[in-house]
Amino acid sequence: MDLVDIIQEKGFIGQEFLAWLWFKAEERGGTVEVPELGDIEVVFEKHMLLEFGEGQASEKVICRGLQTELREARAGLGLGKKPEQARIRIARGEHEFNVTLTAATLEFRNVRLPKTVAGRDEQDDPDSLEGRILERIMLFEELTGLIDDLFRMFISVRTSAQWPEELLRIRKWTEAGLRQYLSS
Amino acid sequence: MLKSLFPLPRSAIEDWKPALEKFPGKSLHGRFQMGLLKGSASFMRFTVEGTLPDNFWDFVAEQVAAHSFRDIDDTLDEFSIGWVSVANMFDAEFAYSSYAAGDYVVLSMRVDERKISPAVLKKFVAKEEERIKRERELPRLSRSARLEIKERVRAELVRRSAPVPAVYDLAWNLADSTLLFFSTSRKALVLLEDLFKETFGLALQLQIPWNMGQRMLDREDALRLDELRPAILI
Repeated sequence: MDLVDIIQEKGFIGQEFLAWLWFKAEERGGTVEVPELGDIEVVFEKHMLLEFGEGQASEKVICRGLQTELREARAGLGLGKKPEQARIRIARGEHEFNVTLTAATLEFRNVRLPKTVAGRDEQDDPDSLEGRILERIMLFEELTGLIDDLFRMFISVRTSAQWPEELLRIRKWTEAGLRQYLSS
Repeated sequence: MLKSLFPLPRSAIEDWKPALEKFPGKSLHGRFQMGLLKGSASFMRFTVEGTLPDNFWDFVAEQVAAHSFRDIDDTLDEFSIGWVSVANMFDAEFAYSSYAAGDYVVLSMRVDERKISPAVLKKFVAKEEERIKRERELPRLSRSARLEIKERVRAELVRRSAPVPAVYDLAWNLADSTLLFFSTSRKALVLLEDLFKETFGLALQLQIPWNMGQRMLDREDALRLDELRPAILI
């Protein structure tokens, strides 16, 4: 199958990953416990793009605002919309990253890396340039590694016998989000 | 017709036509030195497929030199693509900064293209048609005459326009055969896949959730992943 067709047909995996990650992060108040790694801070913030329906009949909704105002986006989930893009703050230890993740192709957009000591070393000789490049690459890979760890958690549960239970919890959470929104 | 009027010396545009035609009129949206080196970055991930030769760094030196960027500012070429240093888009010889950084290959793909906006082309074609009609006192021009005018005007405009540059960084992790490409433009991705294949003889596979899952799961679970249907979250 052509990659373009795969992206279209299997795009729901990325959407469900973002929805699951959002649920997982809120379930424990902004942290996700990753096996063998411990707690990772995951906060959905500012910007989210939701999609409803498929193909030509699909509609897109953009929700912007502070974290607390993503209530509308959560209500959207409760109405059957699925996340297409989300702005996420993700931190482990001293390092904090910001990234907009897209669902279908898992693009990393507008990545902000943590500030580091070497990052301020702006000299242009080849050695410090190589050092700077390597440090930036390490940070980018630290971020992709964290996303991989989270994705591995998701895809393991998604293909396991535990999924129906997890799905029930997600449904309860989306329903609560919708109820909260309607009563406010 | 166009080629016979203005023969393009190293006709790169022919080689890259399939990629360019897939994205007609799309601008490449390249930014200078944003991404790998500084600033906020957007990137996509690839898996590099195939085995590396034993004398890898010699091979890279040879291949990168053979596919380094050739400037077209002083030629009539419409299109040029090749590798430059991530530190400097004018450094195609890697004099100031190497493409080797630890266990990574870091390169920038530079693409220069002479582009004509459709509105500009339309304007000059209309102008030229009017001029010829007046000159030959014709009420209207034949289809073939109009096509000829369009091609001639386009070639002339291309010749007069300055190449628009775009630069995209990449970092290739040799230890785990992955590659970060600092752009999300579809056109740039297609160009990268072709240039990378031509340079190193290795294929790039875009990492999307589905094939990431395939790689992470054992055989049985990977089969289950293939069978999955969208879940209803409400």
